[in-house]
Amino acid sequence: MEQTFSEVISSIPWGIVAPLLVIQSILLIVALVDWFRIESTNGPKWVWLIIILFFNIPGPILYFLIGRRNDG
Amino acid sequence: MSFIHVQHLKKQFDGTAVIEDVSFELEKGMCVSLLGPNGAGKTTTLRMLSGLMKPTSGLITFEGKSNKEDIRSWIGYLPQYPVFHNWMSGREFLIYVARLARLSKKEAASRADQLLQKVGLHEAKNRRIGKYSGGMKQRLGIAQAMIHRPKLIMLDEPVSSLDPNGRREVLNLIEELKKETTILFSTHILSDAEEVSDRLLLLHNGILHHSGTIEELQATQAVNRIIIEFESHSEQYIEQLISLPEVLQVEPHGDALYVEVNKIKDARSAILQQAVEHHWPLTSFEIGRLSLEELFMKVVNE
Amino acid sequence: MQWMTLFQKETLENWRNFKWLWVPITFILVAALDPVTTHYLPVILEKSGELPEGAILDLPTPTPPEAFLLSFGQLNLLGVAVVLLMTMGIIAAERKSGVTELILVKPVSYTAYITAKWASTLVLIFFSLFLGLLTSWYYVNILYGDLAFSIMIGSFFLYSVWITFVLTISIFMNVFFKTPGLVGFLSVALIILINSLNGLVSRFIDGYPPQINAYIREYVINGSTSGDLWLTLIITLLLIGVLLISSVLIFRKKELAA
Repeated sequence: MEQTFSEVISSIPWGIVAPLLVIQSILLIVALVDWFRIESTNGPKWVWLIIILFFNIPGPILYFLIGRRNDG
Repeated sequence: MSFIHVQHLKKQFDGTAVIEDVSFELEKGMCVSLLGPNGAGKTTTLRMLSGLMKPTSGLITFEGKSNKEDIRSWIGYLPQYPVFHNWMSGREFLIYVARLARLSKKEAASRADQLLQKVGLHEAKNRRIGKYSGGMKQRLGIAQAMIHRPKLIMLDEPVSSLDPNGRREVLNLIEELKKETTILFSTHILSDAEEVSDRLLLLHNGILHHSGTIEELQATQAVNRIIIEFESHSEQYIEQLISLPEVLQVEPHGDALYVEVNKIKDARSAILQQAVEHHWPLTSFEIGRLSLEELFMKVVNE
Repeated sequence: MQWMTLFQKETLENWRNFKWLWVPITFILVAALDPVTTHYLPVILEKSGELPEGAILDLPTPTPPEAFLLSFGQLNLLGVAVVLLMTMGIIAAERKSGVTELILVKPVSYTAYITAKWASTLVLIFFSLFLGLLTSWYYVNILYGDLAFSIMIGSFFLYSVWITFVLTISIFMNVFFKTPGLVGFLSVALIILINSLNGLVSRFIDGYPPQINAYIREYVINGSTSGDLWLTLIITLLLIGVLLISSVLIFRKKELAA
């Protein structure tokens, strides 16, 4: 099983996928920076931290769409 | 000379009239307070004047232009609870509204700096508005209302939400602005109206009860009362006073006597004559006037 | 010029709240993710050993145009949702908070106020859409085979018209209601309704806006379109104009304070 897992990993040409991963980490970092600076969110602030961190890709986007208070 | 005429203004919300019938005129350079208890219709009146609300009926004319035209360039307005773009700095916001009022880029920046100085926000000008205190926001609100040098500025309860320090700052600021423009501000606090305004508009339940100076208001509600204070033993003079034909009634209040009379002028001469003849030990002699508070209650309860 | 002042304010706001970062990134991920994962799916399934012994994995490999079209499938779902949710408060929230009481007592043209918001959002969306489709096109070329660049450009322009229509519906809803959540819900509902009526309406008339998506499909696969693409585009653009003008007219009649 361990063998096949590493095979899976190595079968993906990381050079090709890397740009997407970089972009996705930028999104995550921007969301975290904004979360840090903002005073209040819609709903409890700590819940949004969990959403940003654990629901990768949709988490940060949802934070910007719904969680972020624009007047803050 | 009056430059704003408001005629038979009426506003209904869902069939209920909030403003029944309001007519008044404003003269250039005056500072007028729109005085009334909460719910009197002050905010609605100001919003109609600013163009944010449309009157159900009635006419507002501004130097001959009616409210059917765009009169917004002549007007500066500060709502009761001003909300800003909190992500902007105070200076950015002032420049933004200046540009919206069609000032040139250069003008907008210099006017913003000038007003920031005037309202005492120079130090905080590059800070985000979100970080401002209530008093600072109110002062920024006054600055944004003044930005395009309007001919009339309207302030809706500019001090009622502030702490004593903030109140003082804003009242002093209004005192300053009186020199530059015509001011109409609403308040439910009598002493504020008395302190800064030259004229009163007394609004209650959507009806304008009085429009004019405080003195004029007092004249319409005059009570004929003279207050005489003595060094001591005021009671001993009651009988002499009562015997005068001009005097109706006398009531002791400590060392003072409250004398109700028919005609102030005649009574004054008669009483003073008595006082001189009999060497009364007077310490004060005062023609009684109702305080603004009493006047207000009287008009409102009529 | 007053319009530019309003436009610049919107653009600056979109910088400060990071929209210029997260919206393009979202569109890139939305557009590129499906073509990329679809390519690696058989490999991943096979190597992870989750298939029963002896099962033959027979997933047909999409052609380059088919792979590129996967992006539009996602854009129609997630891209449209992002646009609608992102703009659900563009006017409504400003009215609800009361900031319009300061802005609109200045001699601001209502036309400028609404069109500047519309235009600044449009620039952001076009930019994001272009980056998304460009990324998708890049991966399709690497993973599936050649797809002409002109196809990408052409489909970008066609989809721009559709997404402009979506945005304009959101602006229109913003004029009616002061609660952003309600605006968002109604815009989403309306777009779903418009899309679901596509089959029915298309049977009777040409030029119904969602037909653009069928034309994009045809164009990406064949490099040309049959039927009346131009009629659909013109009708959609006209509807956009009508919605925008009505928004301004309705907004002008509204009581701006309550």
